[in-house]
This record gives sequence, structure tokens and C-alpha cells, in this order.
Amino acid sequence: MKTHILTFALSFIVCLTARAELKWEQTAVELHPARGDKQAIGHFKYQNAGKTPIHFKSVHASCGCTAAQSQKDQVAPGEKGEITATFNIGDRTGTQIKTVTVETDEAANQKTVLTLKAFIPQELEISPTFVFWKQGEKPDAKTITVRAGKDFDVKHIKVTSSSPDFQTKVEEIGQGQFKIDVHPNETGRLIASTLTIQSENSPKTFYATARITTAPTLPVAPAGQKVPAAPVAAPTPPARPTAPTGQTH
Amino acid sequence: MKFSLARQALILAALSLLPGVGQAIYFRDKISWRSPIPPSEMVSVNQAREWADSAIWIDARPDEDFARNHVSGAISLNEDRWNELLPQFLAAWSPGKKVVVYCSAQSCDLAREVAERLRKEAQLPDVFVLDGGWEAWLKQKR
Repeated sequence: MKTHILTFALSFIVCLTARAELKWEQTAVELHPARGDKQAIGHFKYQNAGKTPIHFKSVHASCGCTAAQSQKDQVAPGEKGEITATFNIGDRTGTQIKTVTVETDEAANQKTVLTLKAFIPQELEISPTFVFWKQGEKPDAKTITVRAGKDFDVKHIKVTSSSPDFQTKVEEIGQGQFKIDVHPNETGRLIASTLTIQSENSPKTFYATARITTAPTLPVAPAGQKVPAAPVAAPTPPARPTAPTGQTH
Repeated sequence: MKFSLARQALILAALSLLPGVGQAIYFRDKISWRSPIPPSEMVSVNQAREWADSAIWIDARPDEDFARNHVSGAISLNEDRWNELLPQFLAAWSPGKKVVVYCSAQSCDLAREVAERLRKEAQLPDVFVLDGGWEAWLKQKR
């Protein structure tokens, strides 16, 4: 029995060493972009530890927001290199996980998945970012809660409504928390406002939307009685100031 | 002899599990997998088509893909330009409307992320991810 186990263990080890030609320094990278950064770049270093050249067949990112590039198409034995993954932050927030799949012509390990984890600092957490009243509804105030993100010290915030049809009132709760009461002057018309939220000493701007909406839609017609979905064209949105360069929320 | 064989089989089975267990422990925080989207948050192309005008379609793909082609009437909403595009979508939304978010099936994390933000940040109900994404829509259209 000992011989069997030994044989199994040896064959397992031989298999492991035989496939380990392209050795990666790390297949997962964690990035902490600074506030205002537009991109986060991850470097995945490798070395061809085998005795034959390796060719990259493809390098493919999991989403259009990430561009992945290999320095070379072929890696000679002993040669080192890296795959660069550039993640465009855009208006993303919080923890973002993106992957890059690398395909080579190695016999044993053709596909490697590289993981890029970016922690995008979130200065203010706003909930909800959208408040609405149905047309004709009583124009009672609705509350938006604002909380300062971890590692951010926010004492005051300023809220501006793009439309005089909506009034806002900010209440400081303490410990980086705020309440914004929003109410429309009336709900008879289909009106909207962009609420601009800014914390003190920060150029970063956050947004919420307040809107008077139409009444709920009627129930759906039974299957087969209507043509495929053709959504209603979006009306012109309320004027929203252009986000300053480097916005990441 | 019989006992010995069974014991060997058990030992081998246990050994074969070791690499998997080791990887799960060692890479606990590094594995990029995400749990699948719950079926209640997904919708098939057929079902979404039946919703007709009571649904709003959102294209979560990058701007270039949307410009190339999209579901008729769909609104572009992606995280590259979230702040700019969100108001356009909210202007079309009204209570009772369902929201169908799609992206390319090959990278459908985009639709999931947009759907999550609409549910969590805008607190909209009835937000669904299109099963099979843009490719499934094209296939059904043929």
C-alpha cells in the first residue's frame, strides 16, 4: 500500500512541475487609487521557467473598462516580462474586481486568470440617490441620508438644487452623518431637479435626483399580443453640471 | 485485502482533495469569483419582450458598443459615465416600470453592476439582468 501512495504522490509532484513553465510572481493585485485618480494600473510579472518558448495566444479583459497588454508575443526560456492591466475608474465606486484571462500555447496550463482588485475611495455614501413623488401626491419631504466614507472627515455638506421647484434642508446628525430633507413646491407638474452635494474642503461633487413622475403604468398585455420591447424615449434630463475632472463617484 | 483496497481508495480520495482545500484557504481573499446572479434577478429574452412598453431597457455596455448597435429604444447607462447618464434614465423611469439591464454575455459583470447600483443607490424595484445578454437578444431576434 505504501508503494501505491508513494507512486501517486510522485506522479502528482511530477505533474505539477511539468506544467509550471510560465511562472507568475502574482496572479492577483490589489490597488488603492488616490482620490481623483482616473486610472488604476496593475502589473503582473512572469518568467518562463521552462525550456521551450511560450507564445501568448490572447490577453482578454473581463470588461471594456480594463485594457490589458502584453509586452511581447513570445517569451524565451528564462525571459521575464509583464502583463499590464489598466482599469479606467470612470464613475465607479467601492471595491471593483476585474479579471484578465491570458491564453498561451503551453501544453499543461493554457489559461491563467489574473485578478485586479481596486478599492476606490468613497468620500460620501448617499442613500438613496433618487427621490420621487407621483404626480398629484402630497408634497411631503423625503429624506436622503449622507454618510462620510471610511477615512474621510466631513463636518459640513452643502446641497444645491438645480430647480427652484424643490427645496432642501440639511441636518447634521454628527459623526459624519447628514440628513437632507427634500420636498417639491407642488406635484402637479412633471418636474425634476439635480441636487448637487459637496463636502467642505473637497472639489468632488456628488449628485442625487428629485423628480415628479407619472402615475404607475397599466398592467402588461398578455404574451404574444404585442411587439417586442420598445421603451419610451427618455425626455431631456435636468441640467446637471459637468463633473470636475477626476470624478470617481 | 478488501479492507486494504478500500482504505487505499479513501486515502487517495482524501489526498486528491488536499490541493483544492489548500487553494481555497490560501487564496480565500484573492479569488475573483462572484456568486451567480439569483434567478429572481434575471429575466429571459422572451419574458422581457412580453413586458413590452412596461419595461425600460438599459444598455450597460461601453459607449462604443452602444453606438454600434443596441436594443431598439434602449437607454445607455454605464459606470464610465454614470453621473451623466443616470438622469436620462431616471427621466424615462416611472413607478411600476420594470428595468431590463443587458451587456455582452462575454463580460456580463457590467449589467450586474449597473443593476446593483440601481437597486442599492437609486433604490429602484424590479431591476433585472437579461439572461444571455446582447447575444441572446440578437439570437432571438433572428
